Amino acid sequence: MTDMSPSERRLQKELMSLIKDPPPGVSVDAEQAEQNLLQWTIHMEGALGTLYEGEQFQLQFKFSNKYPFDSPEVTFVGSNIPIHPHVYSNGHICLSILTDDWSPALSVQSVCLSIVSMLSSCKDKQRPPDNTFYVKTCSKNPKKTKWWYHDDSV
Amino acid sequence: MLRFLTSFFGNLFQIMLHLLTSKKNIIQNLLSIYVKTIGGSTLCIDVDPKCKVSYIKKLVAPQLGLEPNEMKVIFAGKELGDDIVIEECDLGQQSILHVVKIKRSSDQKNNISSRGEKCFTTSTPNLKNGGLLPLCEILDDSMFSTGSESRTNSISVDASDMDNSSADIKETEISEDHRQRPKKVHFFVYCPTCKDMKNGKLRVRCHFCKSGAFTVHSDPQSWTHVLEPKQITGTCENVPEHCELLLQNKEPTFAEFYFKCSEHVSLGENDQAVPLDLIRPNLKQVPCLACLEAPEIMFTFPCQNDHIACLYCFKQYCMSKLTERQFWQHPEYGYTLICPNGCADSFIKEIHHFRLLDDVNYERYHRFATEEFVLQAGGILCPQPGCGMGILADPDCIRITCQSCKYVFCRNCRQGFHIGECDTVETPENGLLNGNCNNELSCDNESKGDDASRTTIKVITKPCPSCKTPTERDGGCMHMICTRSGCKFHWCWVCQMEWTRECMADHWF
Ligand SMILES: [Zn+2]
Ligand SMILES: [Zn+2]
Ligand SMILES: [Zn+2]
Ligand SMILES: [Zn+2]
Ligand SMILES: [Zn+2]
Ligand SMILES: [Zn+2]
Ligand SMILES: [Zn+2]
Ligand SMILES: [Zn+2]
Repeated sequence: MTDMSPSERRLQKELMSLIKDPPPGVSVDAEQAEQNLLQWTIHMEGALGTLYEGEQFQLQFKFSNKYPFDSPEVTFVGSNIPIHPHVYSNGHICLSILTDDWSPALSVQSVCLSIVSMLSSCKDKQRPPDNTFYVKTCSKNPKKTKWWYHDDSV
Repeated sequence: MLRFLTSFFGNLFQIMLHLLTSKKNIIQNLLSIYVKTIGGSTLCIDVDPKCKVSYIKKLVAPQLGLEPNEMKVIFAGKELGDDIVIEECDLGQQSILHVVKIKRSSDQKNNISSRGEKCFTTSTPNLKNGGLLPLCEILDDSMFSTGSESRTNSISVDASDMDNSSADIKETEISEDHRQRPKKVHFFVYCPTCKDMKNGKLRVRCHFCKSGAFTVHSDPQSWTHVLEPKQITGTCENVPEHCELLLQNKEPTFAEFYFKCSEHVSLGENDQAVPLDLIRPNLKQVPCLACLEAPEIMFTFPCQNDHIACLYCFKQYCMSKLTERQFWQHPEYGYTLICPNGCADSFIKEIHHFRLLDDVNYERYHRFATEEFVLQAGGILCPQPGCGMGILADPDCIRITCQSCKYVFCRNCRQGFHIGECDTVETPENGLLNGNCNNELSCDNESKGDDASRTTIKVITKPCPSCKTPTERDGGCMHMICTRSGCKFHWCWVCQMEWTRECMADHWF
């Protein structure tokens, strides 16, 4: 416990508060995260009254030792990737707080809340227009993509 | 020049004296101090730290041809009371005390202070309670700690009234130990002699004639008072007979604050240290914005929201911004950063704070700052790996020769010099930067190494079409955003021009 790096200490605290006080529809795989603080799996339920009601999603968070100055790498994983204009079929998410607009004041919890609200505000379930090109050519790490942020009104 | 010479010989003299006396003093535990008079003469005396100020007066009086009761002893902005014990003053070896003759006609002082009415009440010396201590001993940490700047006005503890002040402290957690003295003020400085962050000592002199024989009318209550000029008035003991300029001075005399390093023996009056005002004690135990720990010393970002980070996380922040080249070249402050949360108007003004970085990273900081300066001045950086020399060339000149490494290159494409059109297609021959990259800009970025095969991925660098900063691409899409602060140009890797919707349609695959 005492040998933890500052990023691990921060993650430990975030994990505790997420276990104790999770946002609605969000839960963290605590056992897995405690084994490796740098990689978490988060379960997310499609919110009631939205196009995703009843669906289950999984998010993977990867952290570097520069967290929280460096943003976490966040992707949808598993069998159900939400169909959404900002989510590519390989799970990459086009959301500016995950790269350019990241700030250390944000947290795993605030990222989850943004993703929930991104899904909830969707009016038309479809993949991004450039999905096929992107998925073929992109790097494995979405943070290396120089994103062209899609119009937020979509 | 003359001033320089005198101070140079003065320093030399003091260093020699110190060498001669220090050995003896360590054995006898004596303090070697200098006593400076307005006439300009300096006496060196060795005293027991347990002796009182009155003893010093007696000791030097005969040599100055004065009676002890005709003298004032001034140190760090205060007249020291007769009953003050020297070791309470945090003097340190080779410190300088100022001795002045008490003026008979005391009306002159009143004139000056009435003109400085914008500053608080004049604190009258209450010499009967054992007298005054130097400023650094009077000030307390609460005014200079994290999150204290915005509350400056609410703190009304008059430091010279310390004994009956318990009723004035109305901050949240009043505990029993507040009845005792508040914690003595703690300053951090960058010391150019020790080349490191050290504890610092606050000193005061006249803003006009720079004489240390100067007493403040009120104590500084915040960092603004200390760092900004002309905040606190005071009485300068210098007299026109010794400084003709004084006769021309029409303003009240203001205090000028400066710092010395506490951790090496003073090398004289010019041996100053740079205040690191954003490094402050964390009396309220506010957690670090990154790791959420609350150590005793923190870095306070100069933003409205009092964002603070522990020193470790501050360094982490600097290093990651350095790697991404996201420092800003501020016209006044230099190569600097803002609050990591992007708060408005939060530039770090004192760039010596970046001296907290280790040598390797400070060297990078310094190099990037120089490069940024060259770019802003319209210069070009040599593209040869490991060179990066700043070159200011005639705008019409296409063939650029680096004076440092002798590389001859094309101004437009930054490849080896060629006749005819620039070749923008990636071929193995054209890329001097291809593959054999050994500059940090390209490699450090990804040095975490998320997979072992990374080293085999060819790193290719092209200059940003807008600012010409070398930019790498290692897969992913052709849409590039220049990471350099202030540029952020969106460009196309294929066209080497601004990114357009056509680029998005044509070659995003
Ligand atoms: Zn020093
Ligand atoms: Zn003066
Ligand atoms: Zn920290
Ligand atoms: Zn801030
Ligand atoms: Zn060169
Ligand atoms: Zn060319
Ligand atoms: Zn640029
Ligand atoms: Zn293009």
